[in-house]
Amino acid sequence: MYKRISIVLLAFIFVFLVAQFGVCAYSSDNVIDNLGYLTESEVLYLQGSIERIKDNYRLDTVIVITDDTQGKSSRDYADDYFDYNGYGVGSDYSGLLLLINMDKREAYISTNGKAIDIFTDKRIDNILDDVAQHLSKRDYYQACCEFINNVKSYANSGVPSNQYRVDTERNYFHRVLTMIKSFPVYIVALVISVIATLVVTFSSKGKITINYQTYEENGSFALTENRDSYIRESTVRTKIESSSSGGGGGRSSTHRSSSGRTHGGGGRKF
Amino acid sequence: MSSVKEYKCPSCGASLQFDPPSQSWKCHYCLAEYSKDEFDKHSHEEHLNEDMPDLDSYICNSCGAELIADDTTSATFCIYCKSAAIIKSRFSGRFKPKSVIPFKLTKEQAKQIYSNWIHKRILAPKEFKQKEEIDKVTGIYAPFWLFSCETDGFIQGEAKTIHTWRSGSYRYTQTKYYHFLRRGKARYKNIPVDASKKLDDKFMHMIEPYNYNEIQNFSMKYMSGFMAERYDVEANEAETIMKSRVEDYMEKRLRSTVIGYNSYSVNSKQVLLSDITASYSMLPIYLLINKYRGKDHIFIINGQTGKVVGDTPISPLRQIVFGLIVFAVVWIIAVFGGALFV
Repeated sequence: MYKRISIVLLAFIFVFLVAQFGVCAYSSDNVIDNLGYLTESEVLYLQGSIERIKDNYRLDTVIVITDDTQGKSSRDYADDYFDYNGYGVGSDYSGLLLLINMDKREAYISTNGKAIDIFTDKRIDNILDDVAQHLSKRDYYQACCEFINNVKSYANSGVPSNQYRVDTERNYFHRVLTMIKSFPVYIVALVISVIATLVVTFSSKGKITINYQTYEENGSFALTENRDSYIRESTVRTKIESSSSGGGGGRSSTHRSSSGRTHGGGGRKF
Repeated sequence: MSSVKEYKCPSCGASLQFDPPSQSWKCHYCLAEYSKDEFDKHSHEEHLNEDMPDLDSYICNSCGAELIADDTTSATFCIYCKSAAIIKSRFSGRFKPKSVIPFKLTKEQAKQIYSNWIHKRILAPKEFKQKEEIDKVTGIYAPFWLFSCETDGFIQGEAKTIHTWRSGSYRYTQTKYYHFLRRGKARYKNIPVDASKKLDDKFMHMIEPYNYNEIQNFSMKYMSGFMAERYDVEANEAETIMKSRVEDYMEKRLRSTVIGYNSYSVNSKQVLLSDITASYSMLPIYLLINKYRGKDHIFIINGQTGKVVGDTPISPLRQIVFGLIVFAVVWIIAVFGGALFV
């Protein structure tokens, strides 16, 4: 196992060396720009912000820009990059990684440890909205800044009160067992069976198929008086509430990476 | 003059009975067939305009056995020789019907309809699905009052039109109020009202409508081969039922002319009936009464159109089994299907 991992690691390092040799790119510990989209001062500025987040909120933030994910999906690449490069704060390796995958033109955010709870699916979606907007305009620095700002503000507001985790990769058998133990399933089945029995019990009588015109002699109906008179009117003005889509939906979907650690996250094409 | 009428085949003397598919009279022995006109030549129409006294018992013309008949039975069969027997006094005088709609469905067709219907009733006990039970379907001419009347009525109330639009960050709702009045008149014809206490009014109402294009002047000859009942609900009792129906029809008719509003409410109304006439008529039904746990369950087919209404006996055991099956199916779908989405 370790042997395989170390071969993978060696391959990583080799690829990076080759990639960095090709283009003139600046990278720091937490901002890895393989394609030279960011200037040195931009990288340094981002690194500075990332370090302040790490000190204030105990979250490690990583930005990776690459066009080669070694045949992995954005999700797997982002998870593995985080796991195998020693990122993360504390025993649960709290932190998150933004992968800008130029090969597939996809942005992916991988969360880890405490960040899984802070960055719910809904919040990740919001961040990706902001980030993808700049990416599609090829404004990479702005996209990174937007990402960092979002991380700061969500880290500051902490874990939403209605947050819960949903493991999207628990096996089917395990989920069937949870369903069998779930009480609402029995209530739903009971209610439906009682309703179905009542419907079948009382549905057999037949229905009335005549209406108010069945016995009316054809052409015998005539209106002798037909009056409509206007009385008054009233107009009511109501303010349209702007529907703010803040926070709602506390779900954090999780899955496991190749290292066996649990990650959250989400991606977006741009 | 005999008090019981039995129509005999002019060729062979066997019992001659009405045959719904051909709308003529057929002898089951010599297979002779007579149309109404041909039959009238052999057997003159008896005009029973005078009330005839009711007797305590009636004797079968063919075999002399006593007929089993209760107070309102007007046509029946001799239980011994199966001859059709028509009790004349119960079609005489005030009980003389004006019109009849002859049967169009045969007993075999009626049995088939019942059989299909009961087999679809999954909660019905098994014994009601057996052939002996299905054979009990009986063709009966049921007494009805057919009412015709003129109506004059009005409704009035308040109506609203609602118009909404947006302007800036405000939504405007404009409501205009109107007063409306609709007065109209109409003529209603041949509204049937059940005239037999034995038959359930609710079910008799549900087998409507009958097609009045096929209505005939009454003749006892149509009764041959079927059961018949005479009325025991007087015309003035039936009139109150008819009145409330007509008031409802007229109100709905007037309401159908209130258009162009988003909503309206009627706050006063009146429907007046005049020129009410009641005509006594015999209309065909097939009837089956299932007795189950001390309760009667009625099944009726419109003998002209084949429309079905009925009340199924329910087996509690089948109800429980059905409920459990639904519970199990829903539970399985919820657990195994739900697990895909959790």
